[in-house]
Amino acid sequence: MRFNRREIMLTGAASLAAAMAPVGFARAAEPYRIGALNPITGAGSPYGSGTQKTILFAAQEVNDAGGAAGRMFEVFAEDTQTAPEAGVLAAKKLIEVNKVDAIFGTWSSGVTLAIMPLTDAANVILMTNSGAASISTLDTKDLVYRYSTTGIRSGRAISGVIEKEGLTRVATMAFNNASGRDLVAGVKSGWEEKGHSLVAEVVYEPNRPGYRSELQQILAAKPEIIMLGSYLPDTTIIVREARQMGSDVRFIGPGYAIAPKLSESLGAEAVEGLMAVDYVSSLDSSAYAHFSKRYQDEMGSDVGENFYASCAYDMVQCTALAIEAAGPGADNTKIAANLRKVSNPGGKVVSGFAEGKKLLAAGEEINYEGASGPLDFDEHGDVKPLFKLSKLRSGALEYQYMLSL
Amino acid sequence: MLAYITAVAIVFCIYALLTLSLNLHFGFTGLINFGHVGFFAIGAYAAALCSLNGMPYVVGFTAAAALAALAAWPLGLLALRLREDYLAIVTLAFSEIVRVVITAEEWLTNGVQGLPGIPRPFASLGIGGNAELAYLALVVTAVVLAILLIRHLVRSPFGRLIQAIRDDEVAVKALGKNPAGVKVRVFMIGAAIAGIAGALYAHYMNYIVPDQFLPLVTFYVWMAMILGGAGSISGSLVGAGVLIGILEGSRVVRDLLPNVMQVEMASLRLALVGLLLVLFVLYRPNGLMVKRDES
Repeated sequence: MRFNRREIMLTGAASLAAAMAPVGFARAAEPYRIGALNPITGAGSPYGSGTQKTILFAAQEVNDAGGAAGRMFEVFAEDTQTAPEAGVLAAKKLIEVNKVDAIFGTWSSGVTLAIMPLTDAANVILMTNSGAASISTLDTKDLVYRYSTTGIRSGRAISGVIEKEGLTRVATMAFNNASGRDLVAGVKSGWEEKGHSLVAEVVYEPNRPGYRSELQQILAAKPEIIMLGSYLPDTTIIVREARQMGSDVRFIGPGYAIAPKLSESLGAEAVEGLMAVDYVSSLDSSAYAHFSKRYQDEMGSDVGENFYASCAYDMVQCTALAIEAAGPGADNTKIAANLRKVSNPGGKVVSGFAEGKKLLAAGEEINYEGASGPLDFDEHGDVKPLFKLSKLRSGALEYQYMLSL
Repeated sequence: MLAYITAVAIVFCIYALLTLSLNLHFGFTGLINFGHVGFFAIGAYAAALCSLNGMPYVVGFTAAAALAALAAWPLGLLALRLREDYLAIVTLAFSEIVRVVITAEEWLTNGVQGLPGIPRPFASLGIGGNAELAYLALVVTAVVLAILLIRHLVRSPFGRLIQAIRDDEVAVKALGKNPAGVKVRVFMIGAAIAGIAGALYAHYMNYIVPDQFLPLVTFYVWMAMILGGAGSISGSLVGAGVLIGILEGSRVVRDLLPNVMQVEMASLRLALVGLLLVLFVLYRPNGLMVKRDES
């Protein structure tokens, strides 16, 4: 087929017009615009693309159910590059150019803290998975909601596990960044509340070839267990060096540090019994069953350990229900005020937008129980997510029990 | 839309300042500085700490420039003894030392948690619109001043001397000139400009954390300088423009292309950067703004 210049110009103009035109709902209600601001590249990349696609299909589901209070969801996707500067520019673009009403799914605390002044000024609802404690206190308008929890609270949960396992001599080793430090600070405060004290505490600088001197310092205090606030590469080195130094000390850490990959590099024997504490989606809920099936269809892969994608699904559902509950023409302040109403206890349990919409229309109170957890927001807009404890057994993670915060 | 363009323009100006000052080091004097982000970080933290402690902005900006220049002084002395790749390694290490010190000195810098809530000048003009434009005017002024300063420097006898050092240091010595003091001064002036860029960055972003000052920033600036042309003032601006154009332009382009996912665009953006660098090395090895015969 041959095109002359005029035809090419025309086709180009037509497709541009098609692309720029709003998705084409000739209805009175303004669409509710959502910025999916996720870590597609950079350190968060294992989670980012799954999270973003989840926001897209979840919004489609809301639209298929007729929209929320007559408003269709329109999603604008962006990449934070897991870097504050790129995140700020992306957020500016979403807010100023795309005129979004909400931003979903920021992941690293650096990005979230950097864009909060922008979302706050523009009255944009921000839903995040970042762990920094200061996010809660800096949110003055009650427009920021966190679907996971702070590192400090996770740490306190870990201190509960250590007690439950009957261990008394505990040491901590933290990677020197915000999440590593928060995690061990939580363990420390939880542990001291139980009337114990840590036998040793070390903070180490990342990306070193070895941590022998730190380990010597810790092992001299004869701990039974070392709590690691670290990542997989440094955990591998630390565990290997501890075994080389003849120590059979146990380790406990977050799920991204104590992973089956450890036994691939160190051998199953060296890592037998290591404990991992990790977020877990609400696996038994019907919201999760629906979500994980859709995820599988859309992504062609299992949702697996991408807890954050299940949070993203819930961000869309909760917001849609809150818009529906707030009624037509509500602004973000009013919508945010309805978030707790539709997801906290006290109503009929629902597992999806379509179901909740019907009940709301019938004038009933509802309580959305999500794919990521029961989603009961406290006064800071934080939830208590579910945690599980697993142990490495013959090279695989074996589920032990659920934890309470 | 206007506010977004303003934001992009502000970031462009900050990168332009960095590129200009790196050009003073490398393009004009031939000092291979792989630690430019170190001066940027010192400036950012100096300004942030000053204004968080209630000092006027002028004090913060002065401190940013002064501390960055002061940090460059020992490096300048090293530059007398080290040539080319050796200096490159030392400066790279310098910027990492700066980052590690900032991370470790929690009493001052709040370590890995970063410094939130850095005040921004012109906040009294309200949020958005006018305040952003006023800030843009400030950064543009900084860029213009930096251009005037560097132009004045390179056109003066001092400038001819530094370019002679770049081209043939031994010949300069043989003519009875002493390159030592000159190199130290160039290092300090360039660092001060980078320090100002850091101060502007900190006040604009409102939040800084050591992770923002990774060597990647240095290499972005190097990329901008190479694209635009080493040893060319207009090249610094063009290079920074191309860099920001690629990094930010991909967002806007994506909205116009139907059926392109953000996930694909992210990979596309990196591929585009790589392709551009390869094309430049092949067809414009001296950069956009440098004439071929000048090299």
